Amino acid sequence: MQSCRRKSLWLALLASWLLGLLGILPLLRLAVPTGPRAGAPQGWPRWLDAELLQSFLQPGALPEDVPQLPRVPRGGSCDWGACFDTSKCRSGGFKVFVSPVAGPVSETQHKILASFEGSRYHTVSPTEACLHLLSLDAPAGACSPVPPTWNGGQNHLVLRLHPASCSGTFQLGQAMVAEASPTVDTFRPGFDVALPLLPEAHPVRGGAPGQLRQHSPHPGAALLALAEERGWRVAGTDSSACPWDGHCEQDHGPEQTHPGAALPNATFCLIPGRRADALRFLQALQAGCVPVLLSPRWELPFSEVIDWTKAAIVADERLPLQVLAALREMPPTRVLALRQQTQFLWDTYFSSVEKVIRTTLEIIQDRILGASAHPSLLWNSPPGALLALPAFSTSPRDFPFYHLQQGSRPAGRFSALIWVGAAGQPPLKLIQAVAGSQHCAQILVLWSNDKPPPPSWPETAVPLLVIEGHRKVSDRFLPYSAISTDAILSLDAHSSLSTSEVDFAFVVWQSFPERMVGFLTWSHFWDEAQGRWGYTAERANEFSMVLTSAAFYHRYYHTLFTHSLPTALRRLAEAAPPCVDVLMNFLVAAATKLPPIKVPYRRRHEDASPPRVPGDLGPAARDCIDRVAAGFGHMPLVSSRLRLDPVLFKDPVSVLRKKYRGLEKP
Amino acid sequence: AAEPGSRPSAPRSFAQPWRPPTRRDPSRAAVAPALRYEPVTERGAEREAAVAEECEEEAVCAIMCASVKYNIRGPALIPRMKIKHRIYYITLFSVVLLGLIATGVFQFWPHSIESSSDWSVEKRSVRDVPVVRLPADSPIPERGDLSCRMHTCFDVYRCGFNPKNKIKVFIYSLKKYVDDSGVPVSNTISREYNELLTAISDSDYYTDDITRACLFVPSIDVLNQNTLRIKETAQALAQLSRWDRGTNHLLFNMLPGGPPDYNTALDVPRDRALLAGGGFSTWTYRQGYDVSIPVYSPLSAEVDLPEKGPGPRRYFLLSSQMALHPEYREELGALQAKHGESVLVLDKCTNLSEDVLSVRKRCHEHQVFDYPQVLQEATFCVVLRGARLGQAVLSDVLRAGCVPVVIADSYILPFSEVLDWKRASVVVPEEKMADVYSILQSIPQRQIEEMQRQARWFWEAYFQSIKAIALATLQIINDRIYPYAAISYEEWNDPPTVKWGSVSNPLFLPLIPPQSQGFTAIVLTYDRVESLFRVITEVSKVPSLSKLLVVWNNQNKSPPEESLWPKIRVPLKVVRTAENKLSNRFFPYDEIETEAVLAIDDDIIMLTSDELQFGYEVWREFPDRLVGYPGRLHLWDHEMSKWKYESEWTNEVSMVLTGAAFYHKYFNYLYTYKMPGDIKNWVDAHMNCEDIAMNFLVANVTDCHLVKVTPRKKFKCPECTAIDGLSLDQTHMVERSECINKFASVFGTMPLKVVEHRADPVLYKDDFPEKLKSFPNIGSL
Repeated sequence: MQSCRRKSLWLALLASWLLGLLGILPLLRLAVPTGPRAGAPQGWPRWLDAELLQSFLQPGALPEDVPQLPRVPRGGSCDWGACFDTSKCRSGGFKVFVSPVAGPVSETQHKILASFEGSRYHTVSPTEACLHLLSLDAPAGACSPVPPTWNGGQNHLVLRLHPASCSGTFQLGQAMVAEASPTVDTFRPGFDVALPLLPEAHPVRGGAPGQLRQHSPHPGAALLALAEERGWRVAGTDSSACPWDGHCEQDHGPEQTHPGAALPNATFCLIPGRRADALRFLQALQAGCVPVLLSPRWELPFSEVIDWTKAAIVADERLPLQVLAALREMPPTRVLALRQQTQFLWDTYFSSVEKVIRTTLEIIQDRILGASAHPSLLWNSPPGALLALPAFSTSPRDFPFYHLQQGSRPAGRFSALIWVGAAGQPPLKLIQAVAGSQHCAQILVLWSNDKPPPPSWPETAVPLLVIEGHRKVSDRFLPYSAISTDAILSLDAHSSLSTSEVDFAFVVWQSFPERMVGFLTWSHFWDEAQGRWGYTAERANEFSMVLTSAAFYHRYYHTLFTHSLPTALRRLAEAAPPCVDVLMNFLVAAATKLPPIKVPYRRRHEDASPPRVPGDLGPAARDCIDRVAAGFGHMPLVSSRLRLDPVLFKDPVSVLRKKYRGLEKP
Repeated sequence: AAEPGSRPSAPRSFAQPWRPPTRRDPSRAAVAPALRYEPVTERGAEREAAVAEECEEEAVCAIMCASVKYNIRGPALIPRMKIKHRIYYITLFSVVLLGLIATGVFQFWPHSIESSSDWSVEKRSVRDVPVVRLPADSPIPERGDLSCRMHTCFDVYRCGFNPKNKIKVFIYSLKKYVDDSGVPVSNTISREYNELLTAISDSDYYTDDITRACLFVPSIDVLNQNTLRIKETAQALAQLSRWDRGTNHLLFNMLPGGPPDYNTALDVPRDRALLAGGGFSTWTYRQGYDVSIPVYSPLSAEVDLPEKGPGPRRYFLLSSQMALHPEYREELGALQAKHGESVLVLDKCTNLSEDVLSVRKRCHEHQVFDYPQVLQEATFCVVLRGARLGQAVLSDVLRAGCVPVVIADSYILPFSEVLDWKRASVVVPEEKMADVYSILQSIPQRQIEEMQRQARWFWEAYFQSIKAIALATLQIINDRIYPYAAISYEEWNDPPTVKWGSVSNPLFLPLIPPQSQGFTAIVLTYDRVESLFRVITEVSKVPSLSKLLVVWNNQNKSPPEESLWPKIRVPLKVVRTAENKLSNRFFPYDEIETEAVLAIDDDIIMLTSDELQFGYEVWREFPDRLVGYPGRLHLWDHEMSKWKYESEWTNEVSMVLTGAAFYHKYFNYLYTYKMPGDIKNWVDAHMNCEDIAMNFLVANVTDCHLVKVTPRKKFKCPECTAIDGLSLDQTHMVERSECINKFASVFGTMPLKVVEHRADPVLYKDDFPEKLKSFPNIGSL
């Protein structure tokens, strides 16, 4: 009995336990709120009948619309589709005619005209032209009348590099306006072109390079410089939060005012939004000081193509504290990227009048090209749109410059292009040596000889193709469609290379696809005595050019050589053959801003006729470099003091361990 | 050698923090747990309790039966007490078990019975919203001001300083507006606008505090101008509590204008309010103020359309729009007549039976096509202007991976402020419509495929849903207000596959630093004072040295007195560290004033001054790379299926030891603050492999190989003694191999690059007088 009672007691206890457990749990869950259930109802309500709501677009209503034909553009307003006739540009190519200026020619107009004459777009016939250029930079009172080809301004580009005095003389009609720092209110995006506000003394060609000497800001450099009426005021890194107007009472930062011309030495440059301060913008850019524009009332130069968010900060002038705080806290990675981009943009598009005008034309050409224009990446990363031509390809992967951004790498084979000049013999030994390379895809023989090419060629493992040239030196740099690989090994008939040398040089080129990789070098120097550039083939501790008689480079440079060189320089090359090497090296150096690369070359005793030495080629060849430098407007060549050798080159280990044994022989 | 080292295009661990714009809001993540912790209603609890009781009864029965059994059998061996104990234990056990079961049931019971699933948001009917009567003479806002810009019409003070750089958006509560006579002003709200407001409310931008908001979104639905009364809607806007001439108010409109002249912007007077509109033209669009948005296509959204990859398709050019001006249709007809099969021009079907949904059918003569499926059959699809500039067909075309050919002069394409439409579309002037075929034919096939991919990506990221459209719009406005935190062109435009594969070198500018800048040598030392002094003396002979920094890593011992240090021509600084960590060598000390840093161990005395100077010259040509002396290699061990460290005389190198290496000081910053995973702590804990970690870091960030300078020398280091054969320090090699495997797993890839070349002076080992060489003393042992 007792056990029975105990049993029932236990049972009761058990049941109460269970009930308690079950009862408490939900109570607990109610008492302790979990997650988002806390708080009052908030947010947009979830309507019970949300499913029943009607769509904003009633089916059936749409097709009933009776469409209207587009209206003709209202007076004065123009856009690209309505006001520009592209038919002429498609048929005859992009040709630009510079409308002659009646009366006295101003300094600026002269500069523009001069920079145009040599351009590949220039034409002397107004009927052939697709774009007419009219410069309005004339002194007051000497404005040119409407040119005879005006035609209501259609296909005209009115160029106003400086805030012109000739604005009101005639109706612009359907003409595009390329104006320095136009106000945002009158600027027509996609039709007008915003130019930078250039100082009076801006150089026509070349131009001063950017002032940035190091990538990252110097630890001691000031954080801020402020554009003021007469120059830049540099505020220290620790300066208080109110650096404007000089009205700060406790501004302890080291402060100094530079005269107007000096460039600011700071990480960020604050530029007020007034149009007059646009001049400061270029100064900051040149100095590598990141422009912080406070609500600019003018359109940023070339904003149609340049992504300014990568190089400048457009902030609101009403939130100075916030801007300052943001600048101070900006991560070093971003500062580094902004600084570098300012320099790239300055050097590529703004440092000379010629670059500004070429950029303007390139923008208009891009509009005409439509789908085959420069992709944005080509405009906004080195070497820039003036040196990366969409005529080559619109896919950045095909260029040698963008492999990193695209996550791609150059193709793994090369084409050997052997140039057989006037007195050349079929280079049988060379063909065998090159064909022996495992990386060789094809051999092209460019027969530029009066004799017909021999009918039979040696049997090689790779296809061999003979191209007949036009007996011109620049033939060797034509973009032949037969070249199927990214890499070209350019050779002369009398070059002699071993398979090991070719193999190793190609492996090196794959690491540096944008540079030239060569065996024999020249170096340039400034000849103080004669006040001009010279170059020498003597062996020295440094070099700046490699000979194209034996060099690897990217196929793209053929296109660049053929399409971008001014005609005057091309003619120079025809006159003095060694100049082709100089020109090619200039071109690659201008694109990469880096020196070429030298790889080991074993000098041979049979090198009876050493490669062309500039000394014995007559005066035309000797001052070639000086004339090329003048044509470029600056000296792009960069010297290097290193040579890339195989890792175990001439090391005291067994030759059998070395991969490139052919290079080891004395 | 290192054959599996070829990198897959796996996402890089930290170099590119990729943020897909569509997956930005955590709302999805927040909803899921909300469903799981739903409250249990009383009925549910009762049921569960009943179930539990049933179980209990059964269990009790089992126990009783068992005891009965025992009683019958009467095993005398078991005393009564024992049975009682057993019952006691069994009961206790079952109580615990049942308790557990009950808890489990509570946790995981499918809460399907409950009616209200969401406590967090209000549940009401749209019909129950409060009604607001608008007097006929209530104020009307002024017409939109065409000269508005962010810095003139937008009040940034309301956005204020915000550490997260995110604007706060407030949504007015829904009301029903009626005029004096009680006639509603418009449909209360459309399905899409409700979706849009829900998306904003679920996003990070939302705030329910009107005083803290920076942007206000009225709940008055103006998506379609045809469904509303213009004057009354304007009056409704004007009476909003924070209207203030429309400052900081954002209106969404997809179908602007109405017959007969179809204005390209919303006709409702709205004063300074921002307009996110579909169908802007260059005349009405306020650059940098308004946002151009797509016209959503609700009909096609219902259709399930599997993705179709890029490539050639059946039709080259297709026109699928129904309401076209006869003149355009004529031109399209001419194109079809000229180019035959490859051009297809569709129109609405006239002979369909009533029950077929005619909006999803298109016809060409008597052939019937399904829309939007037919779009997937074409490479290019025409998007012509209709009555309005913005056409819903654009969204369908992008979705089908068809490249839109936009023929609508002066049309501002959706999100054109941030999207690069050149990559995904072809814009042809209306005047050139006849040439469209030849223009398209001139585009190379590879570029077409790229455009098809890009078109589909645009749709996925910014067109797919009302939510995507709303968030992209807010992101654009956000970027204007916080420009220093704005999303870059690449983040907006590059499809994910490109983003993962691409690397942006932090030092991309080809800049050769001037020699005059020199370098800072950093010597890490513990207590080998004598050797340290020799290193200092040797290094100070290098012409380009500009400063010497000794990192004193010994906390128990003070560095020698100042007078004992060697007298050198450059400033010498001693930094004492707080802890003996290897990472101290890579700390970005303020004392480093040059960009070039030479890291050197306190026992590297065998490098000549020529070699160091040459190393610095090489670094100037490759400032973005590690330039070092002793090189090492990583190899794939096929037997063990893992990486192996190699220090033999090999033809290749993939690492340089930082016992003697030049690099950019920026990498010190990266090493200290941006090293992925726990690598930094791991290195400090193991007191090893800091150099391998640095090699990984630099290779991963730049995707470039290192540069080894000068021929191999004998270095005093553990592995070198191993090569000498004096003592084969196996454990060291094993440890280093382990490091490589560990780092490779943290980085998720093997970033190290193998190279076959090293840098020597131009005339190294050339047949040339030694006296005339710049760096004669190189490679001598």
